Amino acid sequence: MKINKLLPMLLAVVALLCFPLVLSNPYYIHLASTILIYIILLFGLDIVVGYTGQVSLGHAGLFGVGSYTAGVLFFHLDVPFYLTLPAEIIVTAIFGGLLALPALKVIGPYLAMVTLAFGTILQILINEMSFLTEGPLGIKLTKPMVFGHEASEKEFFWIAAIAMLFALVVVHRILKSQLGRAFEALRDSPVACDCMGVSVYRYKVYAFVISAGFAGFAGALYSYSEKYISPNTYNNELTVLFLLGIIMGGRKSRLGAILGATIIVLLPKLLDDIGLFRIVSITLATLVALGSILAVTKGITTLKKVSIPVAGTIALALFSLWLDNITDWRLSIFGVMILLVVYYLQDGIVGFFRSFYSSLFTKKVDVFTESIITNENFDNIINDANTKDRGQNILTIESILMQFGGLKALNLVDITIKRGSIHGLIGPNGSGKSTMMNVLTGIYIPTAGDVKFENQSVVGKTSSEIALSGIARTFQNVQLFGEMTALENILVGLHHTFESNLVDVALHLPRFTKEEKNARQRALGLLKFVGLESLANEEARNLPYGKQRMLEIARALALDPNLLLLDEPAAGLTAPDIKELLVVIRKIRDHGITIILIEHHMDVVMSVSDQISVLDFGEKIAEGVASEIQSNPKVIEAYLGGSAA
Amino acid sequence: MEILIQLIFSGIALGMIYAVIAFGYQLTFATSGTLNFGQGEALMLGALVGLTCVEDLGINYWLMIPIVCIFGALQGSFVEAIGVRPAIKIKSEFGWIMSTIALGIIFKNVAENIWGRDDLRFPSPISEDPIPFLGANILPMEILVVAGAILMMVMVEWFNRKTIYGKAVVATSNDRDAASLMGINTGIVIMFSYGLSSLTAAFAGVLIAPLTLTGATMGASLGLKAFAVAIIGGLSSGFGIIIGGLILGITETTTGFYISTGYKDVPGLLLLLLVLALKPSGLFGKTAIKKV
Repeated sequence: MKINKLLPMLLAVVALLCFPLVLSNPYYIHLASTILIYIILLFGLDIVVGYTGQVSLGHAGLFGVGSYTAGVLFFHLDVPFYLTLPAEIIVTAIFGGLLALPALKVIGPYLAMVTLAFGTILQILINEMSFLTEGPLGIKLTKPMVFGHEASEKEFFWIAAIAMLFALVVVHRILKSQLGRAFEALRDSPVACDCMGVSVYRYKVYAFVISAGFAGFAGALYSYSEKYISPNTYNNELTVLFLLGIIMGGRKSRLGAILGATIIVLLPKLLDDIGLFRIVSITLATLVALGSILAVTKGITTLKKVSIPVAGTIALALFSLWLDNITDWRLSIFGVMILLVVYYLQDGIVGFFRSFYSSLFTKKVDVFTESIITNENFDNIINDANTKDRGQNILTIESILMQFGGLKALNLVDITIKRGSIHGLIGPNGSGKSTMMNVLTGIYIPTAGDVKFENQSVVGKTSSEIALSGIARTFQNVQLFGEMTALENILVGLHHTFESNLVDVALHLPRFTKEEKNARQRALGLLKFVGLESLANEEARNLPYGKQRMLEIARALALDPNLLLLDEPAAGLTAPDIKELLVVIRKIRDHGITIILIEHHMDVVMSVSDQISVLDFGEKIAEGVASEIQSNPKVIEAYLGGSAA
Repeated sequence: MEILIQLIFSGIALGMIYAVIAFGYQLTFATSGTLNFGQGEALMLGALVGLTCVEDLGINYWLMIPIVCIFGALQGSFVEAIGVRPAIKIKSEFGWIMSTIALGIIFKNVAENIWGRDDLRFPSPISEDPIPFLGANILPMEILVVAGAILMMVMVEWFNRKTIYGKAVVATSNDRDAASLMGINTGIVIMFSYGLSSLTAAFAGVLIAPLTLTGATMGASLGLKAFAVAIIGGLSSGFGIIIGGLILGITETTTGFYISTGYKDVPGLLLLLLVLALKPSGLFGKTAIKKV
């Protein structure tokens, strides 16, 4: 890391550790320790909410599991502090895994409700299992023992600070590794993620397990910090508070978690003091009103758009004057804050300043120095497919039947694909081409029939297993990981080259650093192969359409496939782009990779295909080389209608 | 045996309430693909507004019902306007989940400040003398709950099938974009479905209130368990939610009696997790084909 980046960080750490020396009031030190503990939890929650994009309402429950593991071990078995910590992390991680299991097939609101139900069950169990948890009475603990005496508030702060710094390093490394990329990829496009050999289900579970581990760690520290735990703490309001922290601070950002934790710990204290709250809400209303007036007069926004936030903040200010006791209305104020953040501060405070900053300064383009590829030789970038049995069958599709209700999208289709060839698959719209792609990649399970790839059946295998066995694909409607850079998109494709585990990642052991370095070099090489190396650090969603299609091909090549399925790669491309595409397709074939090409551009299909199959209404109506297909009366009829005279 | 029959009867009454709330989830899910996470709070507000009408304003229970229904419809439309519409506009799933949760929290907190934190008794509109049946004692209110719940669902179904406005709702739930191109104002339809959804919840609130106690905290667990019912039955199956409601209601009353009242919510929630793990479209729901 560069020195100008390291220095402020070092200063921040020193400032953090000196905090209790400067401010010696135990109340403030306790508050600061609580912030540190919440930061650890939010780091974990950010993995699930920010990176995988799932809403978890079960984190208060997981936090409670961590707390109670510590409490129970301390209360019943008198286990020392340093031994309880790993136990809490492991126990909570197991609960996180349990929570993720029903998440197997569910997304979005379902998952949110599942986590809510899970959190509620945990709360009931903590309350009812008195033999273990002492029920509503709660458990009393002492601060951990250090050097033979009970830690003081100050010493505990240092323990929490070290724990937080440790969590910061670990979580940052996880998220910058292949694991973090898998989490982000499964949010942006689950289908593409599976087809890149990264099992969405497995990584969702991983994300929950890791996130729960952090929640457990935080929960344990919390019970030592408070010295008393009771079931009521871990209710749904705490969960919502955690979520507010994450979205307000800013998702996908460590700084955001730190800010968010500070806000959610200090906010309730602020709301205890009506005088202070009145000042803050009136200031806020004035600022929002003035800002809106300025924005409207300058034409940046319209009166209608700003009317709700202005009315809202003014109402809040009036409300604060009317109230004489703020404590009772705390939850309403949290609720209003969530609404404001969800609609007006979607990227959180960090995101807001980041976009503000980047609009002020033009974006710096990172110059890549790690590239070692100088010549046009891609031999070690694209692994040659097995060319030994060139001309033999690589893929046999045997009487595939795909039925959706009464509709036969594919009706007993047989196709064989020769190794090393380019096989065109054409047919009018709705003829079953894309259905065929989805059957081949395990997205659909065929009603009957078999698909053999390299003499092994792929029917019934999951998409990610099929991908890892050597079938890569692109998508008709581009499925890139939009918020990730072009380079990171390829790195997700290279996920299969990583063997390092969580420990390797967290400690940056040589196995991980070596794999990461190799993967980055190959990824850069693949970008160069499709001519995108100058756009390596651009977010995929910002690339022009033609480049996005190229990036998808490069990402598919990262899988080291033997068979590449291209689903309408030329759709929407301009003529020069198509020329470029043809060059790339031929180059891929030269590396021995077999290609199935679905395309509507007849000139493209006819010019590169060795063999062409034609589908119509789910049935194969013709097969042969380009000239045979062009003169086949059935094909002409299918495309133009009527009978060919 | 008598006890079991009695438990089953109170389970049925409870289950029908769950079914009505679950029905409300189905309404909004059909038109907009969104759910109101504060549905339980809509029920709670309905019950408390009803209580105020009956106790403080001296309105007859039966006359109070339409007032509560109007209140519920307004409350639901408010939720849609503040919490859901902006999220649909920016296509943010996270947005509507968080904002309906936030609104739920606000409603609960407001209710706590208006009606207090203690549970209140809701006077029964009809005789509280139990009717002996098969050796068990059934409360007349329980019969009223079952009848009221069925009536509510039948009326909404009738509206959807027989009236032109109902057809707009059905069209929107089949294909929002196509309905919109056919000149249906889908925005209003979605708002209407939220109004209707909260109306049914508020109605369920005044039905169940005489049997239980009312209070600001009554909504949360009812809302969650009704979601379990909606999932178990399937978000698209009207028949499924009645079966799901009965399963959940009866397991809850029997667990409460035979094991412990503290655990009464657990079987339903476990069932929810189990159904979602095995058949996410619900026991009676249809699986949609995903398109790539």
